Amino acid sequence: MSEPLLRASHVTRTFGHFTAVDDVSLTVEPGEIVGLLGANGAGKTTLIRMILGLLPASEGDLELFGAEPSIETRTRLGYVPQGLGLWDSLTSRENLDFVDDAYGVASTPMPDALADLADRPVGQIGLGYQRQLAFAAALGHEPELLVLDEPTSGVDPLSRARLWDAIHERADSGVGVLVTTHYMQEAQQCDRLVLMSQGKQVAAGQESDIIGDAAALEVETDDWRATFAALSDAGLLVSLAGTRVRVVDSDADAVSKALADAGIQGQPEHATATLEEAMVVRERA
Amino acid sequence: MKAMILKEFRELRRDKRTMAMLIALPILLLVIFGYAANFTVDEIPTAVVGDNAEQVEGQLPDLFAVEDDISSDEDAQDLLRDNVVDVAVDTSTQPATVYIDGSSLFAAQSAQAGLAQAPDDLVDVEVLYNPDLTTAWVMVPALIGLILTFIGTIITSIGLVKERQNGTIEQLAVMPLKASEVIMGKIVPYFILACFDMIIVTVLGVWLFDVPFVGSVWLLALGGAIFLFVVLGLGVLISTASQTQAQAIQMAMMMLLPQILLSGFIFPLEAMPAGISWIGYILPLTYWVEISQGIMLRGAGFDSLSWAFGVLVLMAVVIFTAAVVRFRRDLAPSAHGKKASK
Repeated sequence: MSEPLLRASHVTRTFGHFTAVDDVSLTVEPGEIVGLLGANGAGKTTLIRMILGLLPASEGDLELFGAEPSIETRTRLGYVPQGLGLWDSLTSRENLDFVDDAYGVASTPMPDALADLADRPVGQIGLGYQRQLAFAAALGHEPELLVLDEPTSGVDPLSRARLWDAIHERADSGVGVLVTTHYMQEAQQCDRLVLMSQGKQVAAGQESDIIGDAAALEVETDDWRATFAALSDAGLLVSLAGTRVRVVDSDADAVSKALADAGIQGQPEHATATLEEAMVVRERA
Repeated sequence: MKAMILKEFRELRRDKRTMAMLIALPILLLVIFGYAANFTVDEIPTAVVGDNAEQVEGQLPDLFAVEDDISSDEDAQDLLRDNVVDVAVDTSTQPATVYIDGSSLFAAQSAQAGLAQAPDDLVDVEVLYNPDLTTAWVMVPALIGLILTFIGTIITSIGLVKERQNGTIEQLAVMPLKASEVIMGKIVPYFILACFDMIIVTVLGVWLFDVPFVGSVWLLALGGAIFLFVVLGLGVLISTASQTQAQAIQMAMMMLLPQILLSGFIFPLEAMPAGISWIGYILPLTYWVEISQGIMLRGAGFDSLSWAFGVLVLMAVVIFTAAVVRFRRDLAPSAHGKKASK
């Protein structure tokens, strides 16, 4: 197997008495899309900042392309921050030109969708276009590793699908991708997942590894509204899938009792937990 | 409305900078204006030279504080040009000639008023460098420094904080650019623009207000360049301590105000009590005022301004280095490969 593009070993970052990232390890291999999952405040962005060399680790080791993060390793890395990192008063073309100059590469082609907007200041174009531009800017120097922090945040479903097509295209050509997201549909597009909660790495592997033995209960009744309200009032963790009410992190007896107390007829049935439900369960653990 | 007022007070209580402006600034302004806002110079540094120095010295009113350590062989006009004193009395002529430095506007006005009581045939009075005591002649050289300070601190700090506020500073830090390249890339444009401003203001000042330019243009340019490093350094320092452009402006204003009031630009430093004037001597604009007025009005050379140049160079080195170190830390906190302290 080839050397990982990124290796984080037992990385910890503390701010005073607060531990933002606690003993996290992960690798990204060439051609692999690794998803970093977790709720807001889970420590994903702090971990990314350490990987990029923007923040020193308090403990543990970080290696990019087999070496410590440095000016050389940066030339092999493409990064799209959550805030996009574009200069609002510069035009799309000027943004790309600046990034090209900084990386010392030839002119990056303007994405087709932005062809008519090339001479508009970036601050005046839509967020979807801005994301495409940031993505193009990060890819201009043909990086071997792409780090994407919430790359599709605030983007419409079509643009999101296009961006994921582009990510897969790059991964197929051997580029390693580390992507943070809290969209579960996007997590399913990753080859491997790392789930973080309160700074800790709570699960890692394929989707099934993240779900683990988390189970859900499903209740189908004539009146899903009343069922939802009754179970919710009973303090259970409830969600809706169509007209079926799902409960996680609870046992069948508690659900049956809550239904009986509300005078609702229905029986909970065991179902496989979704990735989102598994995350919620782990978050509550 | 009560909720709104309460919320506003809570916000203000936590905004330490605004609180400082609301509480400290009025007190500071009151104290500074109360003590420093004095156009009347009560004590004018004076030299008495020539054969009858001792005899004339005793006849001078108390307003003229005679410097004892100046030899009576010195040239009276040289003493004024080199800004050793504001008034020099040459007793080798008959009657004695009193030379007044017109570039020290308020001291000159006080000296004229003091000498007006003397009989006409007792002394000849000659005002050098600014014979009509024109305010603009004194103000324009100092104004160049004020404009450079404005660009250096406010404009530069806003430009840098904008990168932080927009999150693009993070992008710069991830690019394969050396921290020094980023810092110089950010500062050089402001340096060039400030140089242009300096040329425009100087030329306009000379053209519109007939301000004389007696000394060396190159020496003034050198002084301007050093002074620019100081104020650009201040701008970068402000940016490293500000999260938003509003904070940067607030802080820059707090640095600008004392420079306007206490640098001798408006109120003469000689007229301030020592408890206040010492602040003026730690401000860069004070030394620019000395350099620019010296070169433009009196034709002072490097020798007589070396002290002011020396202080500015020292300030430039200290402030600019501190600014670059802090900015570098913002850009590449792990550049030195050290682990963060726990």
